[in-house]
Amino acid sequence: VPALGALEEAREALPAGRKAALAFEILATYLRARWLLARGDLPGAVATLRDAPDAPSAPVPGSHRIGRRLGRAVVNTLSVLPVDSRCLMRSLVLTRLLARRGIPATLVISARPGPEFGAHAWVEHAGRPLLPVGDFADARLLEL
Amino acid sequence: VAQSNIPADDLMTARAQVPDHVVFRTFAAETVVLNLETGKYHGLNPIGGRMLEVLSESPSVAAAAAVLAREYGEPIARIQADLHEFCSELAQRGLLQLRVAAAA
Repeated sequence: VPALGALEEAREALPAGRKAALAFEILATYLRARWLLARGDLPGAVATLRDAPDAPSAPVPGSHRIGRRLGRAVVNTLSVLPVDSRCLMRSLVLTRLLARRGIPATLVISARPGPEFGAHAWVEHAGRPLLPVGDFADARLLEL
Repeated sequence: VAQSNIPADDLMTARAQVPDHVVFRTFAAETVVLNLETGKYHGLNPIGGRMLEVLSESPSVAAAAAVLAREYGEPIARIQADLHEFCSELAQRGLLQLRVAAAA
């Protein structure tokens, strides 16, 4: 029921201060991810972004829900900024946000062959996507 | 010793390896190859895709040529010539490493 979904979303809404802090974290992570990609390859960038020694080591309750919410925040924040908000950058930023919170995640790259070639990236937690997969689910090329 | 441009005779004794920074997947009509260092995607037709698969599993390019000659029913010399061109092009793009045994 859409109305109930909206109510649930409203309950989960962050206070303005925490929203601003999250937006800042997303932007700072985006800049770091860009810097890493410009100076190295993708696996190296992912490994660096995933390196979060201070993250909680115990399983995080509600990790999938948290991951989806962070995913939405990344998409919404990057899409309103004059930055590269394509799928790979979104995925790299979300990978870092999840790592800092102790939530393990996999970055997936897919490529659809043929005349209408297309490639896509997203992040999964426990095998479930946290970012839109589109029609690339069956074209997985790489998991990091 | 990894090389990208080696004579045809030396190439046959070389081992072709897909570098760690390269991933590929074979689909029905095309093989997609991704170079993680450059971020570039490359496409191979089914024969090219099969060549890459066999090369990556064979101890030498000559051994791969023998397998492909059997599969396609073509003269070995022709397959070797095709593999020489194929390996050189992939190596130049950083998609294949050709390892020639160092002289004793």
